[in-house]
Amino acid sequence: MSHSKNTTGIGPVRAAMRKITTPFDEMRDWWGRAPGWVRWTVYGLVIVAALLAPSDSVGAFMSPESDWATILFYPIGVFVLLAIGLNVVVGQAGLLDLGFVAFFAIGGYVMAVIGTELGWNFWEIIVVAVLISSLSGIILGAPTLRLRGDYLAIVTLGFGEIVRLVAQNTDAIGGPRGINSIPHPPDMSDIEIIPDLQPFTYGVIDPRPYYYLLVALCVLVIIFARRLEKSRVGRAWAAIREDEDAAEIMGVPTFRFKLLAFAIGAAIGGATGTVFAAKMISIVPNNFPFILSATILAAVVLGGSGNLPGVILGAFLVGWLPERFRGFEDYRVLLFGGVLVLMMIVRPQGLLPSRQRSAEFAEGSGMGGMGAEVATPTAKAEVSSR
Amino acid sequence: MSDVTGGRALLALDQITMRFGGVVAIDGLDLEVRQGEIFALIGPNGAGKTTVFNLVTGVYQPTAGRVAFDGRKINGMKRFSVTKRGIARTFQNIRLFHNMSALENVLVGADAHHRTGFIGAGLGLPWHRREEREGRALARELLDFVGIGHRTEEWAKNLPYGDQRRLEIARALATKPKLLLLDEPAAGMNPAEKRSLQQLIRRICDAGTTVLLIEHDMGLVMEISDRVAVLDFGQKIAEGRPAEVQNNPAVIEAYLGAPADAS
Amino acid sequence: MFNDLVSQFWPSTIDGLALGSIYALIALGYTMVYGVLRLINFAHSEVFMIGTFGALLTLNILGVTGPVSGLTFVGVLFLIAAGAMIASGGTAVLLELVAYRRLRKKGASRLAFLISAIGASLFLQELFALVVIPEGFDRPQAGRIQVPVPALMEKEPLFSIGDAVVRNDKLLVFVGAIVMMIVLDLIVNRTRIGRGIRATAQNPESAVLMGVNIDRVVLMTFLIGGAMAGIAAALYVVEFENTQFFVGFLLGIKAFTAAVMGGIGNLRGALVGGLALGLIEAYGTSMLGSEWQHVIAFSILVLVLMFRPTGILGESLQQARA
Repeated sequence: MSHSKNTTGIGPVRAAMRKITTPFDEMRDWWGRAPGWVRWTVYGLVIVAALLAPSDSVGAFMSPESDWATILFYPIGVFVLLAIGLNVVVGQAGLLDLGFVAFFAIGGYVMAVIGTELGWNFWEIIVVAVLISSLSGIILGAPTLRLRGDYLAIVTLGFGEIVRLVAQNTDAIGGPRGINSIPHPPDMSDIEIIPDLQPFTYGVIDPRPYYYLLVALCVLVIIFARRLEKSRVGRAWAAIREDEDAAEIMGVPTFRFKLLAFAIGAAIGGATGTVFAAKMISIVPNNFPFILSATILAAVVLGGSGNLPGVILGAFLVGWLPERFRGFEDYRVLLFGGVLVLMMIVRPQGLLPSRQRSAEFAEGSGMGGMGAEVATPTAKAEVSSR
Repeated sequence: MSDVTGGRALLALDQITMRFGGVVAIDGLDLEVRQGEIFALIGPNGAGKTTVFNLVTGVYQPTAGRVAFDGRKINGMKRFSVTKRGIARTFQNIRLFHNMSALENVLVGADAHHRTGFIGAGLGLPWHRREEREGRALARELLDFVGIGHRTEEWAKNLPYGDQRRLEIARALATKPKLLLLDEPAAGMNPAEKRSLQQLIRRICDAGTTVLLIEHDMGLVMEISDRVAVLDFGQKIAEGRPAEVQNNPAVIEAYLGAPADAS
Repeated sequence: MFNDLVSQFWPSTIDGLALGSIYALIALGYTMVYGVLRLINFAHSEVFMIGTFGALLTLNILGVTGPVSGLTFVGVLFLIAAGAMIASGGTAVLLELVAYRRLRKKGASRLAFLISAIGASLFLQELFALVVIPEGFDRPQAGRIQVPVPALMEKEPLFSIGDAVVRNDKLLVFVGAIVMMIVLDLIVNRTRIGRGIRATAQNPESAVLMGVNIDRVVLMTFLIGGAMAGIAAALYVVEFENTQFFVGFLLGIKAFTAAVMGGIGNLRGALVGGLALGLIEAYGTSMLGSEWQHVIAFSILVLVLMFRPTGILGESLQQARA
């Protein structure tokens, strides 16, 4: 074996990975050239598929051992929406966030507290929750976004834990027992589309209306995020990822745009938390552990950060696989950890990355490549002065 | 040429000093760039030329002194605000956004004056669409202007070296600067490329943008500059028309490292 | 609130210094790896966790089930420290070889490095919860709960300073940590490998030109940082008499906080930061109650990174004075 890669056992994995991912890359390039009507047809089909997903026949294959519609809401639907939100922060703006669950928790607790104490209805609360969570994103981000990448990751991790521990220690919001009897959203209509399916009636038993609510939110957020991506906002984020100083000198208020990404991500996280709390009836601080932040980040990265279809695919897989293969349930975190290490070695850009992000990963730029830094240590310059 | 030398001061450095730790990089520098001229800053390596650019664009804050642009003090301002005020630059080591298309690179510059925030962009509101359209039109126009209009969709890093320099100029022009700082634009170019670069700089100036230039190629400097200043060890040792500066003994000494009369 | 602080001041000080010593020892691993690679070894918490089990395994092998004294105690202490250092150092080296080295060679992004570290961290935690603890430590079905460690010493007051009683175990932890810090300082400043580490921290490129084998230096950095976490782990099990698969998470973040507080990349800063964090936590806890202990530490982390990310002593492994 002259080739050292093969002796380490990574070679075959890499080759297998290439086989899996080449079609993805080809698909992406095809998609990039596809005319408008093809795209709209695909969008339509995806939405129809999402609407038809919670049916028993699909569920029989997807999750033979548990209720498919329930799983579609949590973890799958919740993971997907959270991942779309985190993608704005990580994928678009290139900021490392290891405490994203904090905003999910804040949204959940806003729903729980206002819903039980003030008796507002879900639609009013979700607006407040979005405002409060994005505000908390700004409060956390304003002093910390000047930090370099991995410092930011740790500071956000600390923030996530603070939110959970404060909830746990504060008796006014239930302490470790959390909050019970959170109200459901008011029924919008008791229309029955097909027998036994009332998609706008939010009860205790049927998870499907909540799932549809998540799908609707996902669609809205995706449209919003896509438009941002193609606008000056998305360009500013891309420029910041590539060369923050050059971006600033070209007139991009980099700090403001990073804060904006943080606030938008937080708002999406908060909205998800609101829906989650309204469905679950009761929430406890331990619904919001660090591992959830890590899982969502991993979903974004495994799918292909910066590319929405990739991120959605990643979140879907991370949410669904452990439920599908219940036999491995005990080992799922173990396998998950192993897969993360392996992926970073063979395909750090994720399954379905955007072209730009692939290139950034290949050259180690975007989020501060370490390659360049190991060559030229500039620790002092990196921790930017204020 | 002589008609512009009497123009109004666009950029004025007043007793600027810049220290890094114990090292004095710029020492009590006075400099005035006038509206409409092409001004060249020359000097041996390490004389502090790029430091001057960094001071003007807000990358460094001067230890002492004042930088005024268009009659207003700009030191202390954020870098992006300086750009909005009307100063744009290129870099000695090209700093394009490599994995973005040429068009997108220029658009980032054009965005400096765009107003739509995330709501307008996220909802696709009409004024955002208009801005976006106008930005693209401007970007295409500028790419044509610098001569790489046929490479709009190519990634910056795939462009040949000379075109990358042109793209940097287009990106800087997109911020609609009153003053354009060019940091060694001819570095690494062959004679033909240099000639066309020279014409480009001339056209930029003719279109109403004042140019401040750092360049090592003396031929180019002498041909296109209205005025030249020479820096050595952070101090200005000479200033004037190209021909005057060329024959200044202090300049010859700085470049040759020996007293002029000894040679 | 402040009355509690005043009345508890000296006991809190002693608790804080003891716990802070452990933070400081773990912090060394973060700081050394950061100094050389400019990267946060996020999985260092698991290096510590595995060290505690290395110490426990040594105790099991020795058949120690209760307190010992005299020379036996000293001998056992050395052996569990050695066991923990081997376990921790070995883990750290494995991490570098498996999770990081290839990424380094490719010049991958920080995100890739971080994700790989998180993956390795989860993998090791679960490996212990699912396999090592149930099988290796004979606790079937109990991989996720605390594992008791037999007491190694009778904890008794030695002397008192003012109204504070200094217990022998706390003194041991504190003195042990200081001694190891001095040893490390000597290694980094006086030995060949120490010179290599400092040279690489200062400028990897010229270090290569000077004939330093970067891979070896990086490996040694992981090994030494891991070994220090091993010492911390041995002292931890002697002091707290239990461990679990999750023990590294909180301690790891706190040790990282200590490293940043002292100035990451700065070895003496790790000591200062560790002790400072231990004290702040202890005083804060005496004022607010023990349920706020972790919140205090995390808040310190956030505040330090916000206001003084270069830490108390500044960042420097590259400066000659480590």
